[in-house]
Amino acid sequence: MIIDVQLASLFTAVALIVIGIFAAVFLDNLIKKVIGLAFIGDGVNLFLISMGYKAGGIVYIYLPGMAADWFAQNAAYPLPFALVLTSIVIGASTMAVMLGIIIVLYKKRGSISASKILGE
Amino acid sequence: MIVYILMIVTILGAVLALMQRDLLKAAILTGVPGASIAFLYQYLLAPDVALTQAIVGSAIIPVFFALAVYKTRRVEE
Amino acid sequence: MNLLIALMVIVPILCALFLNLLHKRDRTIKVVTVLLALALPALPLLANYGLHYFGGYAPLVENPTLSANLPSMITGTALNTFHPAITYSFQSAQQLFVFILGLVALLAIFVSLFETRRPSGVYAYMMFMGVAAVTAVILTDDIFNLYVFFEIAALATVGIVLVSNIKGNYETALKYMIMGSIAAPLLLLGIALLLGVTGNVNITDIIYSLKNGLVDPQNPVLLMACGLIIFGWLYGSGLPPFHTIKSAIYSKALPSGAALIQTFSVFIFVALGIIILRIFSYLPFSQWVILGVSLLAMILGITMAILQTDLKRMIGFLAVGELGYIGIGLGLSTAYGITAGLFQAVNEAMITALLFLGFGVVLYQTGVSDTRKLGGMMVKNPLVALMVLLAGFAMAGVPPLNAFQSKLMLIQGSIKAGLPELGVIMILLSIVTFMTFMKAFHAVYLRPQPVDLEIKNEKIPKATLIAMLVLLGVCLIFGLFPQIATSYLQPLATSLAGGML
Repeated sequence: MIIDVQLASLFTAVALIVIGIFAAVFLDNLIKKVIGLAFIGDGVNLFLISMGYKAGGIVYIYLPGMAADWFAQNAAYPLPFALVLTSIVIGASTMAVMLGIIIVLYKKRGSISASKILGE
Repeated sequence: MIVYILMIVTILGAVLALMQRDLLKAAILTGVPGASIAFLYQYLLAPDVALTQAIVGSAIIPVFFALAVYKTRRVEE
Repeated sequence: MNLLIALMVIVPILCALFLNLLHKRDRTIKVVTVLLALALPALPLLANYGLHYFGGYAPLVENPTLSANLPSMITGTALNTFHPAITYSFQSAQQLFVFILGLVALLAIFVSLFETRRPSGVYAYMMFMGVAAVTAVILTDDIFNLYVFFEIAALATVGIVLVSNIKGNYETALKYMIMGSIAAPLLLLGIALLLGVTGNVNITDIIYSLKNGLVDPQNPVLLMACGLIIFGWLYGSGLPPFHTIKSAIYSKALPSGAALIQTFSVFIFVALGIIILRIFSYLPFSQWVILGVSLLAMILGITMAILQTDLKRMIGFLAVGELGYIGIGLGLSTAYGITAGLFQAVNEAMITALLFLGFGVVLYQTGVSDTRKLGGMMVKNPLVALMVLLAGFAMAGVPPLNAFQSKLMLIQGSIKAGLPELGVIMILLSIVTFMTFMKAFHAVYLRPQPVDLEIKNEKIPKATLIAMLVLLGVCLIFGLFPQIATSYLQPLATSLAGGML
């Protein structure tokens, strides 16, 4: 429309990263810190995918009957998508480990406020 | 047109999820940015990544958070 | 295609998965673990040098049957030389690094079996996975593969800390993971910017694109990518501003685990430092950034070590300070300086592991690691005290041990490169290191034993003595014959300084 789609999604990604860093550093509750960390991961993945976008292009699946040159010219760049698949899974597993540690800490210390537990 | 609405929904959903005092609502609201990012991936010409993000970001991650809230405390102190 | 190069990463992962399943049988776990750990230093000695392409997809230049059918739009341009598969490159310098990593891992695993009352399969799993991840970080030529194994190494570090039963380990592990989940996505963002500008994730191809004008090297996006990758590098190796959390991690792990974790930090520092030098050395200020960060690490690390009362935190801060020496070697950007820096890295990994194991004996005997409460251990075990004294001399740079040779090379390199002030600072900080270590040694071994100190275990496990003797022996060999190590590191240093890689 008015703004290029790729540029707008880059802005959204950077906005998500900034919201995530703000939440992870400044909020007090441990669970909200971890929610912020999940948003940082989402923002970086969106940034990677919008690197591969091609305006007016087609999806990178080669169906029989397409000319090879036309496909190579018009398809979106497939390399970032492989990276994002791995990165989503890595993000989900680190979230799981962190939430597990928080549950154990609650049983031992009885609080999930960051200033009481991590403040030392 | 739809692309821009999805982007605004993502950012608003993220800010709303972090402003809740009730932690269970915050955990469930984390699914909203996850699902809209999945839609956005489809419009950015990446259908397989959209499937993975839809499962992980809008089903698995909110369930993890809800389990953690269930085992600790419901309201932030 | 040399399969042993890929096996150097795959074998530790398989060993880890197998050891996780053995739970209750003590003798079986011990024997099987030691047998499997022997493979870790043996594999790099058996493999040949070369490149390994996963999946067998060589670049089109080396594949004439395939490239004969393609139009000249592809074969006539730079696409002909690009690598389509993940590449691992194994040369003489990587052989030395993986061998030293495997040796320290073998000794740390051997000691850990006798440290606690029952050996734990999960602890061995974490250590093997960490070794596999750091081996892959050293060998890989693909920058996204580096990010994946970097995350695995961080998770393995957290796992090693969680397994020990020291008070306060869960809080430290959580803090480390929160900082890691901010720093690692920023590293991925830097990689994404590099991918967006050059269209490649293979490091050799990125350097080719930058040098031959396929992209504009002065693009401001590349400056941002350099900054973000350097930030991720600071987290992975424990340089300021992450030095306090890294030394807290060392203090909350068991001594064998701490020895292994600091080896991970040193080799992640070296591998990422080499990659940053290769890609971004054309930027005029990259050399000064590396020098500045290393100087800050040296000064902050060693001065904060003086104030510590906990033994393991003190060694942790000293280890951060020694990382600064390595960075100065890398930042000098001459062939002699880079060789000196890499040699210092190899020495540093062994000396700090030896110190952790040595002071770990004290912890095993008394259960106390606070220097204000210890004393008089010299009477109990004079052999261990002598070995710890030699290790402290080695760290400060006393001849004829190995750190003397590498620090001498560093000071000579900095004078030759026109920065003699760095040489003066390095000598001063070595003296401060020596003073700090002697203060701790006096507090633990020499002064009379306080009345309320109780000895929990009288006998020291023989495994620790054997491990410390082996490490001391290798330190002496490198100290008397430094050419053994520098001959392996010379080719890499020359090609880095010449800017050809």
